[in-house]
Amino acid sequence: MKWAIADEHSLDEVLSALAENRVVYALVQEDGQYRLVRAEAWDPDRHTLGAYRPVEPLKSLLFRPREYLGAWTGPAADDPPAERIVFGVKNCDLSALEIHDQVFLNQDLQDPNYAAARERTILVSCDCTGFRDVCFCPAIGEQPYATKGFDINISSTPQGTVLESGTDRGAGLLEAAERFLKPAGEDLLQAREAQRAEMYDKLVDNAAACGLTPRMDMQRAVEDTFESDLWEDFAADCVECGACNFICCTCHCFQLADGIDAHCNPARCKQWDSCLFPNFARTAGGDPRPRRAQRLRNRFDKKFIFFPQVLGRYACDGCGRCTEACIGKIDIRAVLKRAVDESGVLHAGSSDD
Amino acid sequence: MNLASYMPVPATIERVEDETPTIRTFTIRPRDPVAFQAGQFVELLVPGVGEAPFTPSSSPSIAERMDITIMRVGRVTDRLHDMPPGSEVGIRGPLGRPYPIDEFRGREILIAGGGCGVGPLRALLLALIEDLDSYERVIVRYGARTPDDLVFRDAAQQGWGRIDALDVLMTVDVGDPEWDGHVGVLPTILTEEHLDCHPDDGVAVMCGPPLMMRFTVEKLLERGYRPENIFLSLERNMSCGIGKCGHCRLGRYYVCKDGPVFSYEDIQSNPRLWED
Repeated sequence: MKWAIADEHSLDEVLSALAENRVVYALVQEDGQYRLVRAEAWDPDRHTLGAYRPVEPLKSLLFRPREYLGAWTGPAADDPPAERIVFGVKNCDLSALEIHDQVFLNQDLQDPNYAAARERTILVSCDCTGFRDVCFCPAIGEQPYATKGFDINISSTPQGTVLESGTDRGAGLLEAAERFLKPAGEDLLQAREAQRAEMYDKLVDNAAACGLTPRMDMQRAVEDTFESDLWEDFAADCVECGACNFICCTCHCFQLADGIDAHCNPARCKQWDSCLFPNFARTAGGDPRPRRAQRLRNRFDKKFIFFPQVLGRYACDGCGRCTEACIGKIDIRAVLKRAVDESGVLHAGSSDD
Repeated sequence: MNLASYMPVPATIERVEDETPTIRTFTIRPRDPVAFQAGQFVELLVPGVGEAPFTPSSSPSIAERMDITIMRVGRVTDRLHDMPPGSEVGIRGPLGRPYPIDEFRGREILIAGGGCGVGPLRALLLALIEDLDSYERVIVRYGARTPDDLVFRDAAQQGWGRIDALDVLMTVDVGDPEWDGHVGVLPTILTEEHLDCHPDDGVAVMCGPPLMMRFTVEKLLERGYRPENIFLSLERNMSCGIGKCGHCRLGRYYVCKDGPVFSYEDIQSNPRLWED
């Protein structure tokens, strides 16, 4: 069922109703960016659904930078989070949850923290109505609107707003807010499709300006260039800060960190780790990837070879955060472009072989 | 899984035995028995310091306690080597895939290893010894840098050497005045002169430093062993042990959950297999 806002009501009323009795995460505009902030209610004066993704990746709400696992002799882990609703999720962040779900949920052993956080988080996505210079989602097969993975999706167009549920939970929430809604008309849905297509085309052009086009075979590009100098060339600017990993919407690596807690007991945390750090893969025999270039290459290997092999998709959604965060100004688009150029990969559809 | 899977169970160090100047065997009794199979590993925690993966070297038929043979090499193992009997540690496991011992029945088994890698092989050997009649023959070829670096030397020379169905030979890279055994790297005792084997159907199991395994695999392939019958215990930085934290990825595998035991057939196509 696709809904529109009833004539005498506003989207703010709907969002306020959805936010009731829940912890709210929404976007605020700050210094020309969006920030993901926590609040007690939807605040129409301050909050926005945002034209594009915020600085903070959505993963940070579900797979927190540091989770306290407890003193090792007794369970004293963090309490599971209260039910919360996240407004303004963009498709890049939403799609990235496929990676985290595969890692933390879909194997024999579930991560209980992630499972609890996922269960208690209502995701309200919305179509991008703008983009940042670094965005390139069409080049890795994504688009600036969500087609799955959301509880509720909101498409704001000049002709009106479309609200659509993607889960039973989302459908229930919209039915509960039915007093503000009416069925979406065909004209509005067509306007939404036209707006989506237009935004997609703009993003295609934005990616093309960096030499990236949809359906490029990034897996083959990275495979073919494994021995290339390109990794040394780009790694020359890497300062091993790990920002690209931490800001990435898909990166999931963590370490179990041991230390002493406030009560002087040995305790353990699960915290984000970075494959760009020296010794990330260290064993008794040494570090298998002692060179920065090897570690940079490993990051692309994981994203563009490993995940296609195990999950059938890249572990990259083209959000461009890593490019913005990189102190050394390593641009993921430039790395991919060079890999594609060097491997001579053509569009999959027009490939000669 | 519950949170306990990231959290070890308390265990006590019961006994500490010197094997070499840098290698000790710790006998550890977990609060709850840990029933492992040969080749599986555990995460051993020094509370407040850190955790590292080890493969038990004792018989898998004993779940109440296990021996872990540990080289002093880093932060966690430094602390472990300083811990006397009675100290409290933590244990998580068993983790990973064991040796496919059921597939070994009725066949000739070559166990080849070096240095500290002989730990997991000892667990396998002990499991085989308990059921020797089920196997055609068990051969052990074991190497170390010097005679001082030979782990389980007494057991190998006096104990296992006396079992008729066992064919044991050791080598060292560099001998000393008392050493009257073979001198040379491990592949030098895998030659026709020193190894009478049936590679067409035989199974070879190996564990050791990467360089040793690399050249041992080459030698075994040259002798006619089939890639699907060569099993390696790989070492990577297994941290969470359940395929989530990302540290031990090797190509398309996580060594912690897809290994640490792999057939050579499964991993031979990885061009970076021997990178470290």
